[in-house]
Amino acid sequence: MTKFLRESWLVLTMSVTFALMLAGAQATFGPKIEANKIAELEQAAVAVIPVEVAQLEKMSVNVENQDKTVFKCLDQGGAIVGWTLVDSDFGFQDKIKLVVGLSSDGSQITGLQVVENTETPGLGNKIAEADWSSQYEGLVAEKDVVVVKGPRSQETNEVSAITGATISSEAVTRIANKVIRQVRPKLDELR
Amino acid sequence: MANDNGNGAAAQFKAGVWSDNPVLVQLLGMCPTLAITNSVENALVMGAAATFVLVCSNLVTSVLRPLIRPHVRILIFTITIATFVTIADRYLAAHMFEVSKKLGAFVPLIIVNCIIICRAEVCAIKNGPIKSLCDAFGIGLGFTIALTILGVIRELLGSGSLLGYPVMPAGFEHWVIMVLPPGAFLTLGIVIGVVNHLRLRRSAGGAA
Repeated sequence: MTKFLRESWLVLTMSVTFALMLAGAQATFGPKIEANKIAELEQAAVAVIPVEVAQLEKMSVNVENQDKTVFKCLDQGGAIVGWTLVDSDFGFQDKIKLVVGLSSDGSQITGLQVVENTETPGLGNKIAEADWSSQYEGLVAEKDVVVVKGPRSQETNEVSAITGATISSEAVTRIANKVIRQVRPKLDELR
Repeated sequence: MANDNGNGAAAQFKAGVWSDNPVLVQLLGMCPTLAITNSVENALVMGAAATFVLVCSNLVTSVLRPLIRPHVRILIFTITIATFVTIADRYLAAHMFEVSKKLGAFVPLIIVNCIIICRAEVCAIKNGPIKSLCDAFGIGLGFTIALTILGVIRELLGSGSLLGYPVMPAGFEHWVIMVLPPGAFLTLGIVIGVVNHLRLRRSAGGAA
């Protein structure tokens, strides 16, 4: 035992010291990081609603044994102006987290924004660009959105895939369709 | 590998910036150099983070050097570097959230950046704190300069901007390849070639 301690006391002491330093770092920075993530999510939630949102009410819906976050978007007078759905699932590389805006009656998609992604830089990560995700504005929520290569037709609920990033484009659409299909029927309970 | 033209701390600092530049001469730390230099902001923040870790790691190693036995030194270097990288990563996520997201996994990957463990092994474990600190600052500055050179070229040609401000004239067609990995390799190769040429010319001129 003494031989063990004699050989390893420095490593053990340093490990304990570093562990304490890391705990201190987490305590100092942790709350700010959480606040940053919440602020980013709320900013995205408001961005996908076309009208001015004065208040965001964070709610939770249970679908298939999972809790999904839904934001109820209210205007100055407290009337519902839209809903923002949040979901994340696997894309091409890893998980994609996105927010989808629905109109207050749940019939139309008012916008979509990808909040977190690790898709290929310059190709797949164009899903995070407003130029691409603005295609979802005005599409119908009752039917699935369809991804097509080449020019798209808005009447048939289509979006154009990014050239060279079909899988990422399809992943975003798949996630959006899934969360809309799961949460739309439950919107009335949240009113 | 180390080519030290003088023994003092100042010489150590100068060597780290130019004659022993970690990226352009020693060809270390290629991974972040190629991955994140598509914008100047990324390059500067990565350089600053790596310098912070280098300085702390060299300082700790140098101060504790009489106590570090040879057979545990790699272990001690690794836990030291991992701790400071994690602190830097959490700091960036808290106070520079946007850049932290753009750098993504490459900040935690500083832990396996050869440059830092190399300086601990080559310099800090054998020298006093002053010389080790100068080495850390010199190598850190050299790393940042190399990253920034690449960042400037790639952002200017690939996005037409510098630090996000549009600089190139409106009609300029972005060289998209510069934002992608092939552009990184091409730019790095050319920059290393130019630096080598200048170094060879200078040493040939000195010998004559």
